[in-house]
Order: sequence, then structure tokens, then C-alpha cells
Amino acid sequence: MAEGRRDAFSAFHPAVNFIFFLIAIGFGVVVQHPVYLTAGLLGAAAYYFLLYGKKGAKLLLALLPVACLIALFNPLFNTRGDVVLFLLFGRPYTLEALLYGCAVGGMLLLMMLWFGCYSAVMTGDKFTSLFGNLIPSLSLLLVMIFRMVPELARKGRQITEARKCIGKGTGAHSRYRDKAKEGLTVLGCLTAWSLEGSIVTADSMKSRGYGCGKRTSFRLSRMTGRDWGALFVMAVLAAGFLTFAAMGSTEAAFTPKLSFAALQGWNILGFAAYCLYLLLPAAIHIEEALRWRAWKSGI
Amino acid sequence: MKRSAIFTLITLFVLIPLTLWFGMQLSGRWYYLTSTLIVVEIMIPFFFSFEERKPQARELAVIAVMSAIAAVSRMVVPIPNFKPIFAVIMISGIAFGPQTGFLVGAMSAFASNFFASQGPWTPWQMMAYGVAGLLAGTLARGRKMKKPLPLAVFGFVSVLLVIGPLLDLSSVFTMLTEITWAGVLSVFGYGLTVNVSQGISTAVTLLLVSKPLLQMLERIRVKYGILDQRSFEAGKGDAQ
Repeated sequence: MAEGRRDAFSAFHPAVNFIFFLIAIGFGVVVQHPVYLTAGLLGAAAYYFLLYGKKGAKLLLALLPVACLIALFNPLFNTRGDVVLFLLFGRPYTLEALLYGCAVGGMLLLMMLWFGCYSAVMTGDKFTSLFGNLIPSLSLLLVMIFRMVPELARKGRQITEARKCIGKGTGAHSRYRDKAKEGLTVLGCLTAWSLEGSIVTADSMKSRGYGCGKRTSFRLSRMTGRDWGALFVMAVLAAGFLTFAAMGSTEAAFTPKLSFAALQGWNILGFAAYCLYLLLPAAIHIEEALRWRAWKSGI
Repeated sequence: MKRSAIFTLITLFVLIPLTLWFGMQLSGRWYYLTSTLIVVEIMIPFFFSFEERKPQARELAVIAVMSAIAAVSRMVVPIPNFKPIFAVIMISGIAFGPQTGFLVGAMSAFASNFFASQGPWTPWQMMAYGVAGLLAGTLARGRKMKKPLPLAVFGFVSVLLVIGPLLDLSSVFTMLTEITWAGVLSVFGYGLTVNVSQGISTAVTLLLVSKPLLQMLERIRVKYGILDQRSFEAGKGDAQ
């Protein structure tokens, strides 16, 4: 689970977090209007860096080349467009196709940034507490897997070390084949050990009353006034930009001719709503950080 | 009729066509959202019927162990390009049946992404990994197929032809600027090397450990009577 920094938006009810990302990602993967796209990228990047700090640059550095490649390669497949920049292998390389490639690369970047934020905010415990009533067995299963993964990794190390002690392990210089074989032996031991354990776990669960009554969740979350407020603001803003989008404020076509819905008149209202929506988590984060600093310096 | 059966029918004949129709009405890059929605809709009946069955504690514990082992084998195996995850999922499918196989696959993909990162690929991975268990559970349950060699061939072929391409489809919908045959083929061609290496590690794993692992799982299944197809039927009879 990606380790987030202290973040105020994460402290809201899981439903608020989940709905925010649902709308942001759903809208982001569909809209290719350059102005909306740029705003989305800035908003997502701002929150992403607030969450991850300097570590966040890593993902961005890994993704930028991919986005650039998508942009540069698109004109090779797609030769429609009026403005020919140059001829490549006898095929026109057009500005429109290049811009369209940029938009698709940008959308990929936007999606990855939002998912990066999602991973930091919607941790496993939040997901299971949110969906614990809707899918009780599956979320219990998820909790059990979360608990077992580190345990199995630890058991795996124990098995490996024990085998090394009796001279059966492999070192760093062993052959690939031996390493694979050793890994599979450990896998077999691990399965046997854990399955035995799982029966004990299951019997223990049963004797403690698994299956009678509602299950409680590790994370206590109740919708407070603050959560309802955030949900209300989100709903109003989302209704705003979704209505304008449905009316065509985000229409954009690249090939064969560039045509974007003009950002004027009432459309500006929709765009403003989108910008405010994007900045919501970052604003909440910064507001809390500032208040915290002011409070600390007051002592 | 059972609730989950009705639900499945609604999903197949109303929800999915509706999503397709709606997606086709819209211009622009709706195909990622449409295709992902359909993938999620296909998976819902599986999850729903699992919930409705109200699984016993022992069943849950065994599924959790198998999913966790699959997830760990995806993340912490120290050998590059060697991921036994599909083999673990397939073995669970063979031992406990297609439905459990699907669950083990989907849950291990979902859970391990909490440790790495969720992304646009999550639903596709859940689907593809689940299909690995489902296929193994349906096609490889016969006595002849359970021998290591036929299993290894089955594993290699199914990773190469079904599971790998399913995973590549998510790249098709996220990375391609336009869905054209040339573009799709180039994505699949690019994915081929990964799929071949995944297929080989699956085949090698199945060849070496399928026999002892299957014996172990079979022993547990018989000894504790968990995830037995017959006891499912009996349980269903009681519920009605």
C-alpha cells in the first residue's frame, strides 16, 4: 500500500474519497478538449505532488516518455490533417495528428496521476469499510488477503533461510535453473504450511461466531457534517461541469480539422466548476497544512 | 429462479448491450470507459453468486490463502521474468473448480494492486487472471489433463492465446490513439515477448509443482470437505 503523507482529504469519509476519484477519473478518460485536459493535468499533478512529495517525480519521469512516444507515433498511423509538417517515408506527418497524439498521451498521464492519488488515499482498509455491507464476503476475503501477504512473504523468507542452513539454498551466483527450482520448492512448502494454518484460522473464526450477525469494520467511519458538506460541494460542481459537457462545452475534434468548443459565454462557468472540482483535494490539504502551521507557531 | 441467475441474465442481456449501445452513440474516446464497464459487468455475476452462497469460514480461508500465495508469487519472487502467478491460479482452479479459480485469480490481481498501484489496468487484470482460473477449472479437470505435461502445454497455450491478449487489450484501449487493425496488431506483437516469457514460466511451474500441489490441495479438500462440488449442491438444496 502506497504510503501517503499526512493528508487532510484522506481524513474524509471513504465514500467522499471514492466518489471524488470516480468522477475525476471517469471524466478525465473521456474528455479530450485541450483546455480541460491541461487544467486536469495541473490539478491532478498538484495533488499528486502534495501526496508523494519528491518521490512523485519518479512516476512522472517514467510516464512522460510514454506520453511523448504516443504523441510522436500517432502521425505515423494517422495521416489525416491539413497542415503537413514534413514527409516521412513518403507519408505526410501532420500537425493535427501530432496534436491528437499529444491529447491521448495527456489523457494517459492524467489517468495515471489520478490513479496514483487514488492508491495513496483509498487504502485497503478504507475500501473494505466502504464496501463491507454491499459485499461482506468479498471484502472479508480482501482483508484476509491483505493480512496474509506480508505474513507469507515473512514465512517465505523463513523457509529460504532454513533451507540455506541445511545447505540447500541458492546463492546470488547460482544458475537460473537452480534458482527457479529452489523458488518452486519454497512455494510448495509455503502452500502446505499456510493451508494448514488456514484451517485453524477458519475453525477459530467459526468458534468466535463468524456468520452470525453483521460484521464490524476495523475503520470507524461515519458521515459527519464536514463530509456531507464536501459531498454537497462536489455534487454541485460536478453537476455544473457535467451539464455543460452534455451541452457540448467539451467538444473537441483533431483530425481532419482542429475544432474545439469555444471557451466563452456560459461555457466558462462549466470550466470554472471543473477547475474548482480538481483543486478540491489539494485545497483541503493545503488549508489543513496552513492551519496546522499557524497553530504550531502559536504555541 | 435464484436471484443470482436472474441477475446474471439481466447483466448479459440488458446491462451489457445497453452499455455497448450507449458507448457507440458517443463520439470521442469513450471506448476505454465502455470496454472497462463491460469487463466489470461481466465479473459482477461471479461475485454476486459468491456473496449469495454465504461461503463458510473454511472456504473463505482457503480461497484467501490461495489468492495471497498468488499475489505474493507475483510480487516477491526474486527471479526476473519468472512469475508463477498464473500457475498458482490455475492449480487452484483445477483443485477447487472454475468458480473458485475465477475468484482466486480476480482477488489476487485486485489485492496485489493495493500493494503496487491501482490503475486503468485493474479491472482487466482481474478479468484476465480470473479467466486463468476459470479456464483451468473447466478444461483441465479431467484425469488425463491433470498430468504435469498436458497441464504445462495447457498453461503455455492459454497464457499465450487467451490471458496475455486479454491483458494487452487494456493497453489497446488506453495507449492507442485510434483503434485500427495495424495499431491493435502492433500492440499484440509488442506484448508477445512478455506473453511468451509468462507462458514459459507458467508451463515450467506447472511441470514442476502441479503434482505435489494438486495432491496437497486434494488432500485438504477431502479431509476437511471444503469447496467440494457435491457439498455446494447440497448447500444449495438446503437454501431453497
